[in-house]
Amino acid sequence: MLFSYNWLKDYVKSLPAPDKLAVSLTMHFAEVEDIKKLAGDFVFDIDIRPNRAADCFSHLGIAREIAAIANLTLKMPSVKVPFLGAVKTTDLVEVIVQDKPACSRYTAKAVTDVKVGPSPKWLQDRLKACGMRPINNIVDAANYVMLETGQPLHAFDAEKLQGKKIIVRPAKKTEEIVTLDGDKFSLDPTILVIADEKKPVAIAGIKGGKDTEIDKQTKTIIIESANFNPLAIRRASKKINLRTDASVRFEHGLDPNLAEFALNRAASLMQKIAKGKAAKDMIDIYSQKVSPVQINLDLNYLNGLLGINIAKTRAAQILKKLGFKIIKQTKKYLLVEAPTSRSDVSLPEDLIEEIGRIVGYEQIPAVFPAASLIPAKRNDGLFWEDMVKDILKAVGFTEVYNYSFIADKDAGELVELQNPLSAEQKYLRPSLIPGLLTNAKKNAANFSSIKIFEIGKIFKKDKDIKEQKQLTALMTGTDFYQLKGIVDLLLEKLGISSVWYDDYQPTPEESKLELWHPQKRAEIKTDDGEIGFLGEILPIKAVVFDINFDKLVESVSGEHEYRPISKFPAVVRDLAILVPRKIKVEEVLNKINTAGGAIIRDVDLFDIYEGEEVPDDKKNLAFHIIYQSEEKTLTSAEVDLVQQKVIKALEKDPSWEVRK
Amino acid sequence: MTDLKKIKKEAEKEIGSAKDLKELQDVFNQYLGKRGELTQILRSLKDMPKRERIMFGKDANDVKNALTIAFDEKSAGLKAGEARAAEEKEWIDVTAPGKKIAVGHLHPLTLAKRKTMEIFQSMGFAVAEGPDIETEWYNFDALNIPKDHPARDVWDTFYLKDGPLLRTHTSPVQIRYMEKNNPPLRIIAPGTVYRHESTDSSHEFQLYQVEGLMVDKDISVANLKAVVGEFFRRFFEKEVDFRLRPDFFPFVEPGFDISITCLVCGGKGCSVCKETGWLEVAGAGMVHPNVFKAAGLSPEWQGWAFGFGLERLAMLKYRINDIRLFRSSDLRFLNQF
Ligand SMILES: [Zn+2]
Repeated sequence: MLFSYNWLKDYVKSLPAPDKLAVSLTMHFAEVEDIKKLAGDFVFDIDIRPNRAADCFSHLGIAREIAAIANLTLKMPSVKVPFLGAVKTTDLVEVIVQDKPACSRYTAKAVTDVKVGPSPKWLQDRLKACGMRPINNIVDAANYVMLETGQPLHAFDAEKLQGKKIIVRPAKKTEEIVTLDGDKFSLDPTILVIADEKKPVAIAGIKGGKDTEIDKQTKTIIIESANFNPLAIRRASKKINLRTDASVRFEHGLDPNLAEFALNRAASLMQKIAKGKAAKDMIDIYSQKVSPVQINLDLNYLNGLLGINIAKTRAAQILKKLGFKIIKQTKKYLLVEAPTSRSDVSLPEDLIEEIGRIVGYEQIPAVFPAASLIPAKRNDGLFWEDMVKDILKAVGFTEVYNYSFIADKDAGELVELQNPLSAEQKYLRPSLIPGLLTNAKKNAANFSSIKIFEIGKIFKKDKDIKEQKQLTALMTGTDFYQLKGIVDLLLEKLGISSVWYDDYQPTPEESKLELWHPQKRAEIKTDDGEIGFLGEILPIKAVVFDINFDKLVESVSGEHEYRPISKFPAVVRDLAILVPRKIKVEEVLNKINTAGGAIIRDVDLFDIYEGEEVPDDKKNLAFHIIYQSEEKTLTSAEVDLVQQKVIKALEKDPSWEVRK
Repeated sequence: MTDLKKIKKEAEKEIGSAKDLKELQDVFNQYLGKRGELTQILRSLKDMPKRERIMFGKDANDVKNALTIAFDEKSAGLKAGEARAAEEKEWIDVTAPGKKIAVGHLHPLTLAKRKTMEIFQSMGFAVAEGPDIETEWYNFDALNIPKDHPARDVWDTFYLKDGPLLRTHTSPVQIRYMEKNNPPLRIIAPGTVYRHESTDSSHEFQLYQVEGLMVDKDISVANLKAVVGEFFRRFFEKEVDFRLRPDFFPFVEPGFDISITCLVCGGKGCSVCKETGWLEVAGAGMVHPNVFKAAGLSPEWQGWAFGFGLERLAMLKYRINDIRLFRSSDLRFLNQF
């Protein structure tokens, strides 16, 4: 919101220099985002937070803040000017408030004999500095008082009000209005209007209508200074998609007690700059009177919450400068009355903020909390997450962070957004795979092989919406077994000892998602059941593992048992065997281990071969079998004996043939 | 006698002029080999009369020893020379680049998050997490952000089709944690948050936030300043000046904006800090009584909370100039960490 430095000078004598003032306001009130230099003035752009809109979307509000911060005197503009009008407002117009909950106060005053014309330069300059376009002296006076006090005002041409009536009521279903800007709006009963006997003449609190506009011929006007329900204005403004200087102020909830002051201020200004004669009386329909609240401030709490000692006198002085009243003082308490303009203040904490910010937070020392340092409990999920990331990094994977959103890729039931930013981000991702695939394609131009992973949330829709942490990795330029080796390593490092892989059994629904290679895909299983998948991905030549991270964490043990290194040498024998193609390596390994017993330390598959020199329906598997005893050095004869046993066991099946 | 002297002189000359080990071996063979001249003289000693044998024999042995030493020295010299020559052939260009080892990389947000967690855990903060999909209650109502109030407009929100929303901040974790745990408590809550806004080099619709909460009977703004100051110092690994100024968040009172001295210009003013010398990095404040009430805690407790964007801190720490890089998954960017 824009404020004129010159204007502020009217209310605060010896106003600090613009730069100094900006720093003071930023440190004690709200951030001054910009100072623009104009001819003979400076414009301050201040980021007023929503809690202070009600009293500080106004020059007077800012002036009060400055006076409190810099300990200067606030000079309020006088409204004790003699009103010159001979006619009574009540003779010119009747005000009827039909919807009292939506309009807690409506004040009106007539000004006769106005001479509509341009307003004086000083006033035009101030309006322009605040980003408003001067129109004529009547409209400008109303706008000027809004910028001064924060109270939006409206002026009607009294002669254009049909039936001399102002009725505050909900709009009727088929009513329409053309605003001062010439825009036509269709209204409905959720929108509050100001109407004359026949039709709406203004959208209450938002915009005036063309029909009762002030023009060059206007002689008599009715000034409206009213208080509308913030919610009603907010909803109407949203509905017709029209935000104005007035609606923004009403939305934040103005002080009804401000209406009268602003009305008189506008009337006196119109006498001055439009030669008008303001009526001595005013119409005031004030149905829900707002009274100030009292708050008991415990000074120990004040100092305890801020962590600094502020004397009672200083606290009281600050509050008074800000417009609060000290009703009663005791040794430990201040009984404070908040002005009705400060609807944001109702609790002791609110008063503590007022005192704290004026004193300045830079005055508060940094003190470590006295509480004993209890060691923090470990968060298991995050601990394992870190460990997994480290392992994958160690084997060459780079971590990516993708967005949680995806475009529709007919991937079953997805969680849909009500207000997506774009069609590309219409749903929450049900899997990390599409993101990694996109990453791989995007990086392919710069990298010949890609190894990436992500740990992130995925979202699924069953009966309810479920979110789950997922771990997914993708690798290009390699095969299934390489990645399987990585999965093995990862699970082993996490202390998950029993892991096995099963053929993937797709449900009919899953087989619709032709992302995975139907053959080169396995389920990864632990004692707790299936935790994920591993396999080749069809859209690009890549292998992927996709693990439910929440399930993985349930399976980890963190146990890692050291196995003593045998003092006795190991003996390695190779074994090559021809088996039917569909025989699984696991089956062969099981047979070798069972036949060999404890003396076999490890069996290492070092080659799988299909093709030339091997019959069509067969494959050749080659193993290193490592024999080692923990008790003695094995002799060649002892090893040969076991190796023969193994061969015999393998050849029990006539379709298996150990190559000699 | 003259024979011996002559042999010695000639042998020494030939040893001296031998150009390599093979030539030297030939010289050796010529004099000291099985059929070498000196060997034959020594062999002929046994046929000499005793007196002569003693005298001549001594001289002959002296010559043999002298030549042996000369051979050894020459041989060592030639060997060293040959080794040097061989090594010289193995010259390499040490300025040529080393061979690249393929290693993986952790995401800069993970690195920044780890650092943050480590610092706070060392100060006794436990790590808590919450869901990305939140209810109106946890994201707004319980945090004293009333429905249909302009204050709610500050948080541009993504809503899901069936009602819930994507959390706009990690503050709901405060409520969830306080519902289940009694004070005194200290937590740090990292997580993804979402903002319905268009992106540019400093705005993103998906962000990583870290929430902090400390509640006890006598926790003050002074404590917040100490903990936050310690965090900045350790996170940026240098003295970092920071300031609190008034700001408004409905779930705290008083509320602050926390800014640090611009790390780019050191506070003098530059384009990064919009010439102010300060960078806003966090929102904070003393937990609002209505928040304690919503979480079911009695008014005897007091404490503070803060929230900062991890991207912002990582951008400052690693001098990253575009927030959109974090989720670009561009390996040319990620491989630098
Ligand atoms: Zn700077």
